[in-house]
Amino acid sequence: MKVTFYGVRGAVPSPGPETVRYGGNTSCVAVHTDDDDLMILDSGTGIITLGRTLLKSPFGRGQGRAAMLLTHAHWDHIQGFPFFQPIFILGNRFTVFGPGRSSTMLESILEGQVNPHFSPLYTMKNLGANFDLVAVNGEPGAQTHRWEQVTVSAVRNPHGHATCLAYRLEQHGRSLVYAPDAGYPPEGASQAAIDLYRGADLLIHDATYTPEDRSLRMGRGYSSFADAAQVALRARVRRLALFHYDQDYTDDQIDDCFRRCRAMLDAEGGKDIELIAAREGLTVEF
Amino acid sequence: MKLRFWGVRGSFPVPGPATVRYGGNTSCVEVRCGDTPDAPRLILDAGTGLRRLSKELMQTEFGEGKGKAHLLVSHTHWDHIQGLPFFAPLYQAGNHFQVYARQRDDTHLRTVFALQSDNPYFPVPFDAAAADVEFTELSDDANFEIGPVKVRCTRLNHPWIAIAFRLDYDGASVAYVTDTAPFRDILIEQKYIRQPPKPGDPLHPEDAAKLKAMRDGVVKLCEGANLVIYDTQFTPMEYSQRPHWGHSCPEDAIEIVHEAGAEALMLFHHAPERTDHQLDELLAQHRIQQQSIGSSLQIHAAYEGMEFDVTSAGVGPVLPAPIVPIRGNSTPPRPPVPAAGSGGSGSGGSDPGKASS
Repeated sequence: MKVTFYGVRGAVPSPGPETVRYGGNTSCVAVHTDDDDLMILDSGTGIITLGRTLLKSPFGRGQGRAAMLLTHAHWDHIQGFPFFQPIFILGNRFTVFGPGRSSTMLESILEGQVNPHFSPLYTMKNLGANFDLVAVNGEPGAQTHRWEQVTVSAVRNPHGHATCLAYRLEQHGRSLVYAPDAGYPPEGASQAAIDLYRGADLLIHDATYTPEDRSLRMGRGYSSFADAAQVALRARVRRLALFHYDQDYTDDQIDDCFRRCRAMLDAEGGKDIELIAAREGLTVEF
Repeated sequence: MKLRFWGVRGSFPVPGPATVRYGGNTSCVEVRCGDTPDAPRLILDAGTGLRRLSKELMQTEFGEGKGKAHLLVSHTHWDHIQGLPFFAPLYQAGNHFQVYARQRDDTHLRTVFALQSDNPYFPVPFDAAAADVEFTELSDDANFEIGPVKVRCTRLNHPWIAIAFRLDYDGASVAYVTDTAPFRDILIEQKYIRQPPKPGDPLHPEDAAKLKAMRDGVVKLCEGANLVIYDTQFTPMEYSQRPHWGHSCPEDAIEIVHEAGAEALMLFHHAPERTDHQLDELLAQHRIQQQSIGSSLQIHAAYEGMEFDVTSAGVGPVLPAPIVPIRGNSTPPRPPVPAAGSGGSGSGGSDPGKASS
């Protein structure tokens, strides 16, 4: 699997000189499987950059196929969608996995975003690409999904007053877990979440805050890098990528989060866990 | 009038090294009329640029719930409203905001704005905004006053329809004309345009008449203005491919501004893919072009942090200002909420705007 980060920021895109190194685009991660299938995790503004690169591939000729996995419908996880160029090209096909009890619910979320008050697209029906919508439940014991050669399972994490799906993708014994926007209670992540994360080759995890900032904002439903380290240790993952940084954190502050998280892992028996600070353009292959 | 530019980009925010100098935030311009504490404070559009303005305002009377501002919205496309949920003064009781935008269909303006903050898109509903927010629905050709400031509107050529504003205060005048296509190839109204015309194709006479009326309205709005801020997102090549997207080129803006006898033009609503370097070149090219024809029209290209005065004598010196650095953390404000399952160990973050480290 080849994993590339296109957007690593939380809440709102944050342009400016202080975010140039890690990037200011909101959540989007591209996964190229061993069979060279494309799976896109969330569609924050990072997906716009991905869209431009895809125009040189079969997506530019209307022969592209990809899965898009949405964790929840907060703006920073969907706002790039109306500007993702492959959706305008007739013939491209997307299977959209997202939270909801039904595919109708998922459709209404996507429709709401392109409503004519807000977008010149008016409705999803004007888009050239074809969309198959798959509602993902995320309840304990829910069915797993299959897309091409990849098994997709999901767990719902608490996220403030809402919930956010964490996804596990597995193929040929390789595994990736994507868990943004996770606001665990003080007793920590649920056993179901730890089971989902267990032994992952790469866990991309919410690390919005420092522990100090999180303690002031418990109700918001985000993790600190310390929470990310704790679940990485409990689930014994091989690599942990810090992700979804607060929109106001500067590059230097994120450097500092990374150093402190490394020290935390080293001190608590996680020397063998490779730590990564996600940044735009970074590719991790395993 | 003192103008400050907080967001100058069109379509969507573009972070990254290629946009650091001009800035990657979407549309937001602040206008102060006068130096006194009660001088009206106007904000033109609420793109992501509003987030930085928000931080500054929280250091003023807005942080104490004593602020008052008027938000003039050209239209409700995302890039002109997406900063609003992150505007901290909105969550501070006592502040007062008057929002002006064009009445669109039978949906109330408040509902349109509330939709943006509705479940499942945003965790804090619009009704949780503790500030006093009033909406004024405008007609295409509205005329009204904000204290000593006279405001005039006219319709623009953009999907679902945008309006331009002209502000007159103490002999100085600024027109804000965004978003709009030129008025010659296509009439953009309320329908999705599947097949754009080729620029130059003959128009239906009825459409041609409507476009002429619209163009006349824009020229009149800009008449003799000290400054015209204009949507110049496209190059002529880009426009020829997407005339139905509702954006103009600098060439179109220059034509209007000359005809209106305005003194200065601000290139604005830059294309997301336009780099700092390309904007430098674009600006230089059009300045040279104006000099070569002996025109005295001043041309500027808006960048984040740009600040200057406009008086009856014209546009004051345009000084580069540093982009306001953001230090520490202050995520969008929330009303106090019980921490989900935390047994009260968290504060709930009732006033994170002041929790900067």
